[in-house]
Amino acid sequence: MSLLADLLGEQALDPGYAAAAARRGNRPPPRRGGMLLVLVLTGVLIAVAAEQVRRSEPVAQQQRSRLIEEVRDRTAATDELQRRLDRLRAETERLRAAALARSDAGRRVREELRRAGEAAAAVPVAGEGLVVTLDDARPPAGEEELGPGAAGLVYDQDLQLLVNGLWAAGAVAVGINGLRLTSTTAIRAAGEAILVDYRPLTPPYRVTALGDRDRLHAAFTGSAAARRLHVIEKRFAIRFEVRRADEVRLPGAGSLRLRHAGEPHGKEVPE
Amino acid sequence: MIALLGLVLGVALGLMLQPDVPLWLQPYLPIAIVAALDAMLGGVRARLEGVFDEKVFVVSFLSNTVIAALIVFLGDQLGVGSQLSTGVVVVLGIRIFSNAAAIRRKLFRA
Repeated sequence: MSLLADLLGEQALDPGYAAAAARRGNRPPPRRGGMLLVLVLTGVLIAVAAEQVRRSEPVAQQQRSRLIEEVRDRTAATDELQRRLDRLRAETERLRAAALARSDAGRRVREELRRAGEAAAAVPVAGEGLVVTLDDARPPAGEEELGPGAAGLVYDQDLQLLVNGLWAAGAVAVGINGLRLTSTTAIRAAGEAILVDYRPLTPPYRVTALGDRDRLHAAFTGSAAARRLHVIEKRFAIRFEVRRADEVRLPGAGSLRLRHAGEPHGKEVPE
Repeated sequence: MIALLGLVLGVALGLMLQPDVPLWLQPYLPIAIVAALDAMLGGVRARLEGVFDEKVFVVSFLSNTVIAALIVFLGDQLGVGSQLSTGVVVVLGIRIFSNAAAIRRKLFRA
């Protein structure tokens, strides 16, 4: 505590000078080059340290750009692998179709496979359908965008409601902003972003539903989901629009996993 | 006057020569500078109080920098290097401020 006591007592913190002065008495202190030397040393120290800091900056920069480079390389490699996977999948598809086309049973299986593939969102589909657009409310005048937690934001529940309403209305395939939904695709929120299949979406949210467009439209506009969305539209100024489309396209779902496999009962397993 | 000249000369020398600091010495450089600043302000204060002594100044400078670096080195070896450097900086910082306050009182009577 002596340091604090010294501080509070306003005393000299280095008693060495006082002691030396007392020893010396009234004689003038001797002068040598020591002080100059020390000050030169201090100056060198400061300059070197400053130089060191300045010099280590480019090193950090270099490491950063090296990391960025590596990230780009890896991303490119992943893209290449994805392309290869797509090619191989197409090849397998073609070979399977050719193999199944040889017999009647094969053709039946192929038809079954096609229907199953459509239902599982494994293959791209095209046809007429509905396009429903949900978007955040327009920001108040003078502001760039709605802040987090604002009242006019579209939430993941709204999208879930809409998608479930479309399935219930008889849609055969549904996609959001070009992402195909399977029966197990998650629509959830992380922070401010809405994730579909764990990929973040940006508004406007364009939900495409494939099916007989008139029947879909009639079934959807009368549904509870549409009524809820209209209420939200009125109360929070969220933009909600339903449009019939002649030709919509949806890609196959990105992440399909084999979850269940079994042998056919009482039948010979084809070689 | 001669002191200021020495400082400027030192900075110029350091910038001109640009000596390569070995890697193991680099963590002790900032601490040594803080210690040197403390010794310098102590010297200025002693000068203003009329008790300046060159020997005390030189010895306090050398011992300050060496001990500060040594403490940090010891801390590095023990695995508490950053904590000990914080301690050194706090203690020296207190001394620097109190010396600066004394200098201010002497110079401006405020």
